[in-house]
Amino acid sequence: MNKGNILQGPMGLGLMVVSAIVALAAFGYAFMDLSSVGHRSFNTTSQIPWGQPIATYLYFALASSGLGMIAALSLVFGFKQFLPIAKRAIFLSFVILIAGMAVLAMELGYVFRMLWVIPLNMQIQSAMFWMGVFYVADLIFLLWKFQKMEGQEWDSKTSKQIGIASFLAVLLASGNLALIFGMMSMRPFWFDGLMPIYFYLTAVASGLAAVVFFTYFAYGFNRAAMPERTRAMFEGPMPKLFAAVLGGTVLFIAVRAVTGVYTNNPEISVVWREFLFASPVYQASLWLGIVAPFVIMMIAGLRSNPSMQVLVSIAVFAGLFAERYFFVVGGQVVPLFRGTWEWGLIQYTPSMTEWALTIMGSAMLFALYAAGERFLNLSDMPAEPAPEGATAAA
Amino acid sequence: MTKWGMVIDLDKCTGCQACTTACAMENNTLPGENWQDVLYYSEGSYPTAKLTWLPRPCMQCENPSCVAVCPTKATYKDMDAGGIVFVDWNKCIGCKYCMIACPYGVRFYADEKPVVEPDVRDVFPGTGQLHAPPYQGPDSDSVRGIGIQPKGVVSKCTFCYHKVSKAPEGVADLDEDNPETKEYTPACVRTCPPKARYFGDLDNPESEVNRLIADQRGVRLKDHTGNRPQVYYLGSGADVPAYQSPKKS
Repeated sequence: MNKGNILQGPMGLGLMVVSAIVALAAFGYAFMDLSSVGHRSFNTTSQIPWGQPIATYLYFALASSGLGMIAALSLVFGFKQFLPIAKRAIFLSFVILIAGMAVLAMELGYVFRMLWVIPLNMQIQSAMFWMGVFYVADLIFLLWKFQKMEGQEWDSKTSKQIGIASFLAVLLASGNLALIFGMMSMRPFWFDGLMPIYFYLTAVASGLAAVVFFTYFAYGFNRAAMPERTRAMFEGPMPKLFAAVLGGTVLFIAVRAVTGVYTNNPEISVVWREFLFASPVYQASLWLGIVAPFVIMMIAGLRSNPSMQVLVSIAVFAGLFAERYFFVVGGQVVPLFRGTWEWGLIQYTPSMTEWALTIMGSAMLFALYAAGERFLNLSDMPAEPAPEGATAAA
Repeated sequence: MTKWGMVIDLDKCTGCQACTTACAMENNTLPGENWQDVLYYSEGSYPTAKLTWLPRPCMQCENPSCVAVCPTKATYKDMDAGGIVFVDWNKCIGCKYCMIACPYGVRFYADEKPVVEPDVRDVFPGTGQLHAPPYQGPDSDSVRGIGIQPKGVVSKCTFCYHKVSKAPEGVADLDEDNPETKEYTPACVRTCPPKARYFGDLDNPESEVNRLIADQRGVRLKDHTGNRPQVYYLGSGADVPAYQSPKKS
């Protein structure tokens, strides 16, 4: 079944080794900087305490949740067409979350201390406390679900229950992550009760980008090499789902932008007008990374084209990363008091150390993914799709 | 129960930054940490331009958003200490969420490690006297975030708790003009040249701070966030203008 999977051969080994070396080198660079000059090696300040490492973590954590939701399409909701990518999506969801947590760990002042102070103090008022609880639960259920798949338990009662639990953990984790920002009334750019919905949508968009890219990658970007059911999925339901989710994302960003630009609140309108739309990088990421992919996916002749699908997945990957970055930084660029020695917006660009952490997380993801393709059969799926009604009988 | 509060009269404040300096010296704050500073801002244009300034300590809020968001209970409001908000440096993990949640921007994360870091105590052994370096603060208390801030944690103004806590029990005001309370008055209040700052017990009807707040209509900054500061401002200028893009002004 997996003869076309190039990552199970020398290519996979090469990718794994090279990615691991890049991840280690990036870690070494960041670690050296942090050990020698401390967090001064970050360009964050007391005015912008959260910079690119937090945006990277947010991006990875939400992509992980998106992948969990995509896996749930077949494992929880019974859309059998998506079974061919279920195992890969679960695995990717797990490893991308690990990579995100690694980046977050490097950003904290005391990473190991949290292992005991959080459980010992039980600050249940804090959304960040629940973020820890839900993401740990998410990791455990993802791993458990993957272990069931490894044991070919696709349809057993326990496997289904774990799938449902995993889906709920994903919803709670990413929804709660949204509330960390959405509940901040003192940061009006973030303050939004619908933030969890925005995060769910964009999480699925980034999850789709990941699963499309990595599945194509496994087959050498050659759809003809894919198993028949995987191929069928990429010819029909997958691009349509991608189009729908990108449409929702475009709509959500448009609504936020329109209300943001026209509101009288300077802490929102200034961010949209003078930080987001004034940035060529944001403009490029919005138009090339989200709007253009949506248009491509809406054109029937283009959306099933393999090259277009890969191109769109890469564009969405980059576009949503920029979205996360501008979202995290955008909530902090307006000084809390105009006179905080800042007459204009607070300036921030990531330092080399911060970039090193982003590279470290990305390379970790590639290394772990390559290891997964090589040692675990990520293309696995039930031999035959279960006929309708079989679930109830089971 | 005592509830320590501060009143800052902006009609008296000259923006001289003596409070900033006194705070830095009293608390040994690191570069980048301004537990107390004075912000300057302008409003309008010629001929109606107005330059104003705003001295800004931690507001020691009655309902502090920083406390609710802290995942480890490192930041906490100590009612037994007069409602002062502290950071327990032994519990802080440096996630900086409290800095995001503070509407007043009065929490700091200064983590700079010099490449070569000699132990200052070895370089300047000192004589044990306070005026001889190194002066570390005689009352370091990491549970309350008092002393030289270690790396990897958030720091903030403590209302000079190491001084205030030694005040006679039941005292209504801590006043630098009163020889009995002078030593227990927060450094920024004690040093203020035009006497623009007052410090006392908001729960004591006899206190000067309560009288000033009532008589001169004291206001709290950003009260709409629900944080209910224990720092009140008097005078014109207490209405801090909203942020406006410099491009428009």
